[in-house]
Amino acid sequence: MTGTRGLHRSSPMASFVLLLAWVGTVLAVPSVIVEGAVLLGVACLAFISGDRPTEFLRRLRFVLLFALVLFVAQSLSIRTGQVLLVSPVRITAGGLLAGGRMALRFLVILSASALFVRTTDPDRLAQGLIRVGVPYRYGYLFILALRFVPFFQDELRSVREAQRVRGIEVSVRSPRRIAHAARYTFVPVLVSGLHRVDCIAISMKGRCFGLYPKRTTSRVEPRSAWSLVALGIAGLAIAFAVVAMRGRWI
Amino acid sequence: MPSSERFDVAISDLSVRYPDRDTDALAGFSEAIAEGEVVAVAGPSGCGKTTLCRTLAGFVPSMIPAAVSGDVHLGGDSIRDVPAEALATRIGLVQQDPDAQICTLSAWQEVAFGPENLCLPAPEVRARVERCLAELGIAHLRDRVTTTLSGGEKQRLAIASILAMQPKVLLFDEPTANLDPRGVQALFATLSDFGHAEKRTLVIIEHRIDALRALAPRLVLLDRGRAVERYPAREHVDYAEVGLRGAWALPPSETATGSPRVVVDRISFGYAEPLWRDLSFSLREGEVLAVIGPNGGGKTSLLRLLAGLAAPQAGTIERAPETRVGFVFQHPHHQIFERTVRQEMELESPRSVGGVDAELLDARLVGLEEAAPLSLSLGEQRRLTVATTLARRPNLLLLDEPFIGQDRNNVLWMISRVREMVADGGTAVLVTHDIPLAAALADRILYLDRGTYLLGTPDEVFGQLRDLGEAAFTPEVWS
Repeated sequence: MTGTRGLHRSSPMASFVLLLAWVGTVLAVPSVIVEGAVLLGVACLAFISGDRPTEFLRRLRFVLLFALVLFVAQSLSIRTGQVLLVSPVRITAGGLLAGGRMALRFLVILSASALFVRTTDPDRLAQGLIRVGVPYRYGYLFILALRFVPFFQDELRSVREAQRVRGIEVSVRSPRRIAHAARYTFVPVLVSGLHRVDCIAISMKGRCFGLYPKRTTSRVEPRSAWSLVALGIAGLAIAFAVVAMRGRWI
Repeated sequence: MPSSERFDVAISDLSVRYPDRDTDALAGFSEAIAEGEVVAVAGPSGCGKTTLCRTLAGFVPSMIPAAVSGDVHLGGDSIRDVPAEALATRIGLVQQDPDAQICTLSAWQEVAFGPENLCLPAPEVRARVERCLAELGIAHLRDRVTTTLSGGEKQRLAIASILAMQPKVLLFDEPTANLDPRGVQALFATLSDFGHAEKRTLVIIEHRIDALRALAPRLVLLDRGRAVERYPAREHVDYAEVGLRGAWALPPSETATGSPRVVVDRISFGYAEPLWRDLSFSLREGEVLAVIGPNGGGKTSLLRLLAGLAAPQAGTIERAPETRVGFVFQHPHHQIFERTVRQEMELESPRSVGGVDAELLDARLVGLEEAAPLSLSLGEQRRLTVATTLARRPNLLLLDEPFIGQDRNNVLWMISRVREMVADGGTAVLVTHDIPLAAALADRILYLDRGTYLLGTPDEVFGQLRDLGEAAFTPEVWS
């Protein structure tokens, strides 16, 4: 959420619409060309928003690895179309195409979502959702879910430090040790998390959350040309999807 | 029984018992608090102070299960059947643990959260947020992500978020626990204005009654869930005599002449911005060093470096061979792993039942052997972590705010254990905001602020702080 360039300056709702447009496009149009174009668009916007190419790739390294696994699995399991290779494994054009589509779709959804999370303030997004009529309880569910991401990271770090201080060795080299590690790592973090959920629920009630059917949204969303840019790109993506569907692009 | 109409808060024969406990947390407590009155509630750890706050705020029994009898009237109306969210329009509770109170991800939004729930007009919400952020001295934090704030900053934010709702009655559960002395002074100046100018009723739970002097509160002493003593406002009370924390007259310790335990040489450390550069000092065997300074000055970071949990970005830290580190974290739940208090005590090294019982008796945790550690109060959890840490026989003991939530007797217990360890050639480093205690206990003081550090005997450091205009960090302000 730190940054001042590109999508960081867009309104959360405009960024959200763009995310929906990108995801909707790759789900509605199973085409390597469309998915590749959208992935290129996501990458360009990430760079404009402050990500260096190496940083963008580093963040997606596990996603890329998983996409590769998907591609290989699909290519080997689908056997329609022209046969390209018979031995040692049978590979067909249909399999490669299906694998490419699946891998690209996966990459688009994950990279676009990651870019959205990185450039969007969840508080502002919740306020935007509430403004357009989403019940505020659901809007705040979203914030609370995100509130717990750094909490669990901090708790895990603290628990690991406490293990070091108290001389508790944690290893995953055998099932017995995995069970031991789970007991002394995940159980304290989980218990702490459940306790925190209770505390925050009390704190929210203690500040009148849920007292009235509606609540004020007081934060003024600054106008930004980047909101129009995001909406414009979303419109282009949808138009591109419609053209691709009519033209039966693959 | 007090006449409920005449008082802002009228508590009649209130008893509370939690499902997993054999005794009442509150046992027939009655009190009448007038409009605009400032009341301090003090007493030994576990005497029912936090339960009182939670019951008045409506959290007990509606959200925290407990058997409750008696009644509480707020402005003449019983709170018995009022949901907590409706009660919150009239009574606001600043909880003991600020981390547990923060619901949102940005400081500005956190303060706006309550007023927005009250459906106030947006300009009114914005005005309240800006005013409260300024009054608590955290206007510069408005755009910060809440999870990146220090403990003291979170405490101020939690207070601002309740003040912004402008309830008629304000409850504070140990508001000074995480605040530096400067923050404590600013908080009570703000509360004084709040109470006097706006006629708001303040009920403050506090172990450090000396910190409340500016508010001249009426004092109610609790013990085992009952009011045992009441002192009118402005009456002089000898806090030590009634078992409260205040001035400390500790016997002087012997001058540390042992060999160096730790040598810190020109270390630098920071996160997004540097906390300090070229910090150098050494710690001797038989020495107690107290680390003081403003919130966010890097005190906890220094302890993590000394423990070897983090590495300095420049410089070196050398520990003597055979150094055994014991570290009591600021948040005790992070270092609690077992299902019962007894298992927790035996985690590192199984000991005889009698040995564990003696240690629990010493730590005033007797009777809680089979209780789940995380069900204990914060003060009890902290004593448990001190006891488990000392059981490892460390010779370098690092304590991060161990006195939070402790009454005078528990503090004296901790002091005696620290001094025993130091007398055996150990070294203790203690982070605290309790300046009179630091002055009485420490051989040397390290004052850490961003970019500044002062090191010397208590007299030397407090003299320099006076010259720098930082009187809040000197003991005479609090005595």
